[in-house]
Amino acid sequence: MTECKKFKKDFVALLSQELDEEKTKLLQSHLDRCPDCKREMAQLEKFMKGAESLKMDIEQAMETVDWEELPRKITENVFKQEVSALKESWLGRLSRFLFQPRLRPVYAGLLLGVLLGSLATYLILRAPQLKEARSTKISVPSNFLESMELEMARRETLDYLERSQYLLLDFIQSPSEKSAEFWQSEFASQKARDLLAKKKYINPQLDKYQMAKAKIICDQIELLFYELSQISVKLSAGEIKKIQKFIEEKQILMKIDLLKKELGKSEV
Amino acid sequence: MIKERPDENEDIHTLIERVKKRDREAFMTVTALYQKKVFLLAFSFFHNREDALDIVQETFLRLYQKVHLFRKGQNFQNWLLQIAKNLCIDYHRKNYSKSKEYNREKPIEEMNLALSDEKDPYLSSDLKGIFSECVKKLATKQRLIFVMKHYNQLEYQEIAQILGIALGTVKSLHFKAVQNMRGLVAPYLGRQL
Repeated sequence: MTECKKFKKDFVALLSQELDEEKTKLLQSHLDRCPDCKREMAQLEKFMKGAESLKMDIEQAMETVDWEELPRKITENVFKQEVSALKESWLGRLSRFLFQPRLRPVYAGLLLGVLLGSLATYLILRAPQLKEARSTKISVPSNFLESMELEMARRETLDYLERSQYLLLDFIQSPSEKSAEFWQSEFASQKARDLLAKKKYINPQLDKYQMAKAKIICDQIELLFYELSQISVKLSAGEIKKIQKFIEEKQILMKIDLLKKELGKSEV
Repeated sequence: MIKERPDENEDIHTLIERVKKRDREAFMTVTALYQKKVFLLAFSFFHNREDALDIVQETFLRLYQKVHLFRKGQNFQNWLLQIAKNLCIDYHRKNYSKSKEYNREKPIEEMNLALSDEKDPYLSSDLKGIFSECVKKLATKQRLIFVMKHYNQLEYQEIAQILGIALGTVKSLHFKAVQNMRGLVAPYLGRQL
């Protein structure tokens, strides 16, 4: 029985003609002696032949293939794929070069730069006045400029008053025989014109800084100069004398003095 | 007409050397020479014409890509069938889930076996169907050895080379494959097997 088991392992090899000569002889002699093994061998042989039936199926399938055309088709596909693989490998190499890990910090830096640049551009374009204010690098309190302008207006007014005072003084002190010609002289008419022009210049400042008292006097002086420069030609010496007295009586020069003092003390 | 046998002066090694130099004609000749052998292996494995043709196409593509690895002393047919075998295993793993494998056109129980009426069950008209279904149930290595031995008619030595296993292992696995096949077909062909 043990002998049979040993030989059975070689049955398949024998039927497949894979057993060497020596073993084949030994097995054949055993099969001659053992009817059980002989029956087993016969059944196995039948099975092996049955397995051949699948060959018919394979042969049928093979008949449906065009063996002439297939190599051409395969060759064509293989060479086509080779061309596309070459193209792909060129692109692949380029992409590998561009996306290699060691370039990652460079790309990260570039990206960060672009982001920061965009942000900075956005902020600069959004608030240009901020940039200007920063670029002068001078910062002054908001009321400083206002007080500067007020001081300038005061000085301008003082200058106007002083020059008016001198001119009026010249007019009052002029000899009575020459007083009629005073306003016709080049010197006086020029001064009067200058003062009228200056008055026009300081008018908005007087309004803006509410120097009401100064404005009233300045307006009176302006009107006076205007009238004198316009109508003095037609006036007689007596009438001129009257105007001179009127100026003295009204104490215009004194009022101007007082106003000058007040302006000097910034009390207007 | 494409050559199916290399000329006397032009053996397979010369052709392979030309293929290595990207010679289109040589490649086509090699394909014509070995296409049937690859198809036979793949068809026996899958029992499906289209799958077998896919394997043939893929095998020759792989041959073209890896031909530089082939050394002169090697047996070219075994080397090529080794590629085909690996592709069959990969293809099977990828495309044949269990459900697909057993999704046969006709259930084995419904096949025309006519066990009681026929004296010889091997005369049954559905015998090849039974065998093809039972071959699929074998373990991969046993199936490959069974197919290579019975349909590709390769020797144990060649199968050992293709599968990269020992000769004794091939012999023992072939024996096991035959025993398992007998056990699988027995219920359908009668207990006398």
